[in-house]
Amino acid sequence: MSPPEWAAALSSGADPALVAWVVRLAAADWAHPDRIRRVVAARLDAGQPTDAGAVLEDLEGCGAGPLPPPAAAGRLAAGLVRLGARVSVVGQPGYPHRLAAAWPELGAPLWLFVRSATGRLPSGTAAVAVVGTRQPTLEGLETARALARILAARGVVVVSGMARGIDQAAHAGALDADGPTVGVLGTGLDVDYPHRDGPLRDAVAAAGGLVTEYRLGTPPRAPNFLWRNRIIAGLADATVVVEGRARSGALQTARLAAAQGREVLAVPGSLHQPASRAPLDLIRDGARPLTHLDEILEVLDGLPVMPGEPDDAPVADHGLAPVADHGLAPVAADVLRLLGAVPATPDRLAAASGHPIGAVLGAVADLTVRGLAAATPRGFVAVPSNGRSGQPPCL
Amino acid sequence: MGGGLHGRARSVAVVGLQAVTVTIEAHVGGGLPCVTVIGSSGPTAREAVHRVRTALSAAGLLPGGRKVLLSLAPAEVPKAGARFDLGMAMAVLAAVGTVPADALDDTALLGELALDAAVRPVPGVLPAVGGLAGAGVRRVLIADGNAAEAALVDGVEIVPVADLAEAVAVVRGEQPARALPAAEPVAAGGGAPDLADVRGQAEARRALEIAAAGGHHLLLVGPPGCGKSMLARRLPAILPPLTHAQAMELATIRSVAGRFAAGQSAALDRVPPFQAPHHGVSAPALLGGGSGVAKPGSASLAHRGVLFLDELFEWSRSVLEGLREPMEEGVIRVARSKATVTYPARFQLVCAANPCPCGGGDACGCSDDVIWGYQAKLSGPLADRLDLAPTVAPLTADDLLTAEPGECSTAVAARVTGARAAAAERWGEGAVNAEASAQRLRAVTRPEALRFLAGAVERGELTGRGYDRVLRVARTCADLEGAEVVGRSHALEAHAHRLALRTASSPP
Repeated sequence: MSPPEWAAALSSGADPALVAWVVRLAAADWAHPDRIRRVVAARLDAGQPTDAGAVLEDLEGCGAGPLPPPAAAGRLAAGLVRLGARVSVVGQPGYPHRLAAAWPELGAPLWLFVRSATGRLPSGTAAVAVVGTRQPTLEGLETARALARILAARGVVVVSGMARGIDQAAHAGALDADGPTVGVLGTGLDVDYPHRDGPLRDAVAAAGGLVTEYRLGTPPRAPNFLWRNRIIAGLADATVVVEGRARSGALQTARLAAAQGREVLAVPGSLHQPASRAPLDLIRDGARPLTHLDEILEVLDGLPVMPGEPDDAPVADHGLAPVADHGLAPVAADVLRLLGAVPATPDRLAAASGHPIGAVLGAVADLTVRGLAAATPRGFVAVPSNGRSGQPPCL
Repeated sequence: MGGGLHGRARSVAVVGLQAVTVTIEAHVGGGLPCVTVIGSSGPTAREAVHRVRTALSAAGLLPGGRKVLLSLAPAEVPKAGARFDLGMAMAVLAAVGTVPADALDDTALLGELALDAAVRPVPGVLPAVGGLAGAGVRRVLIADGNAAEAALVDGVEIVPVADLAEAVAVVRGEQPARALPAAEPVAAGGGAPDLADVRGQAEARRALEIAAAGGHHLLLVGPPGCGKSMLARRLPAILPPLTHAQAMELATIRSVAGRFAAGQSAALDRVPPFQAPHHGVSAPALLGGGSGVAKPGSASLAHRGVLFLDELFEWSRSVLEGLREPMEEGVIRVARSKATVTYPARFQLVCAANPCPCGGGDACGCSDDVIWGYQAKLSGPLADRLDLAPTVAPLTADDLLTAEPGECSTAVAARVTGARAAAAERWGEGAVNAEASAQRLRAVTRPEALRFLAGAVERGELTGRGYDRVLRVARTCADLEGAEVVGRSHALEAHAHRLALRTASSPP
């Protein structure tokens, strides 16, 4: 049976027959990453080959549910064509080579949906994942952006997860430098998540690419973001954790990356700063501390290709989760979240929070009076420890 | 002196901003030929003698071989400069009958004579002509270069004359008065720098807007080159334009200071003034001074506008102390040997200072303690008079690339005008929040805002005077928002604008 016409249009180099097969399976509800992992594991245990065709055959035959009718696959394919998206299949041309190195043992996805100008993801001189919390401090945002700018200016692909906070700062930094950047989504390519960040997604798609293993229409769900993290790590030679709280998703994924032998770097912060807990824990456990921004380039010079691991997994769609409840007004709560150990001027707080300067000034005065922030000659800092017990763990 | 010929002409002296009509009498009689001036003082008179005699001679009008006595009355009034030359020459000509005596009855003359009999402009014409108009004079003969300035005064005919011969022809009715040079309309706010040029600097822009809306004094803190004076220079453009009376008052001060440029258009300058004296200037240059009768200083030239003191820490304390009187009373009194004069000086003070001894900036390695110590120098009377102290950070290259162009002055000025209107409705025409009484302010402030400020005083973050200042700034924040009553959020913002001052005056 020859593959449908759309299969060739969707292929980024893969055999159209495989592409058609993938799209039909992806249209099935039950073909999620965990099921594919189990199929692959079974074949590995049995010492059987794990090429894409064999795995697809097993998956189709595992009896997890009925295969969708060809019309459903056609609809999915039409949607992908409308978006200008492509399908790549592991082991086939067009599949990112760094990620392919993690197949099959390390859980690279069987297929990817890619939205980019070329239909493929940029490979660059190297690739670095810059990841961290969705609730960063101002300095965290600046670090992520500056790092990404340095990397992108050297043609290094900046990989991150498109989430608000550190991820988006990393993408923005790469865009500042007109460099390549790849956004790995935990939803379908057509889902507006994080809400109203479409312009940034478009910019990233144009400057590098958006990639996901989820079919169109897949809504944001917490486990999907955890799965997504392995793609971020797999696409990168090294992973930098900029900020993350204790028990952060960034912490778990960075440790997984380390276990796989890819380089993990952590940005050291204040020990009083909750958002620096994850990188500090990583450094304690042997991750390489990033003591200077340019050091990231030295690290790249000395490394072979290795996978790393990324950031927090988003759950709900509101970009800014509530911080400790001190009975603060929303603006004050937003400002408090941005404050860290490095003094921040009201100008920068206003720019980062998007609130008008008058409200931000009122907020810092409020926080100062409440003892949650302090004025220094260079700006405002968070007052650490006592009184900040209400910090919710960040996943 | 029994016999001889008498002539009389009118001119005007200016002491401070006050005009005093001066009657010039000439007596031409027999005796050893000479020209003597009495009723004036010092070298001014001796020099005038030579100018007047030579000019008369150049014009072929010198009554030869006679003794000429000129008297300037009242004798007590200090008379400086060469403004009486034209009047003295005309009084002599009236005495000898070259011009009919009654032709000078309702005419005054003002101008310096050149040796070739040309008439030259003099400073202080605006108050002089204003005084003459008040004294019932109908016609003023004046140098071409002063005509536009003099024409700002209503109710008096201004006759420009190029030289003594033309003046004589006009007085004798042989030549009609020349028309004044046409007034060039001044574009509103033309040439004033626009706030749109300032990128970023949200905090400083906000403080500037509040300062303009409430008439508050301002301190800009930032490293060299970060744009402090750029910001300060943009304050006049967002202040409300001067009213006619205010513009006349300012023009008068400029006139006395000799800053009314010759040939300047006859339209009044309605843009509030901006003065930026260097920190090395003397107290007289800042506050007014000079020998005999004091001239206005920069503080008065900034009347109804902005006085910008850059490098505040470099100014000597004694010079700054002199600003206390104008900041409290809106006027400066200067006593000199011949007179004590009072000049108005109701300016808005904008100061700029580096954040630390090394100047600050990226390479600054000063510890917080060193910076506290440096800023503590600001403590004292001036610190308590500054309401807002935004930090001005140097822009990074990134900011320059990505920051949106700032809002333009027109948009900001519109909000300022709205807030000023609200203040005027509350306190009376022309009054601003910076001068409002604390008593009446409390009546329009919510209890929770007052409680917050009282708490700040208890914690030592505010002095008693600082409390009132914050209350006034909070009132302005509320006015900018269109709020009737000052709420806690306004008090919080006002407090935040002063945090740098708080730390400056009370290091932890």
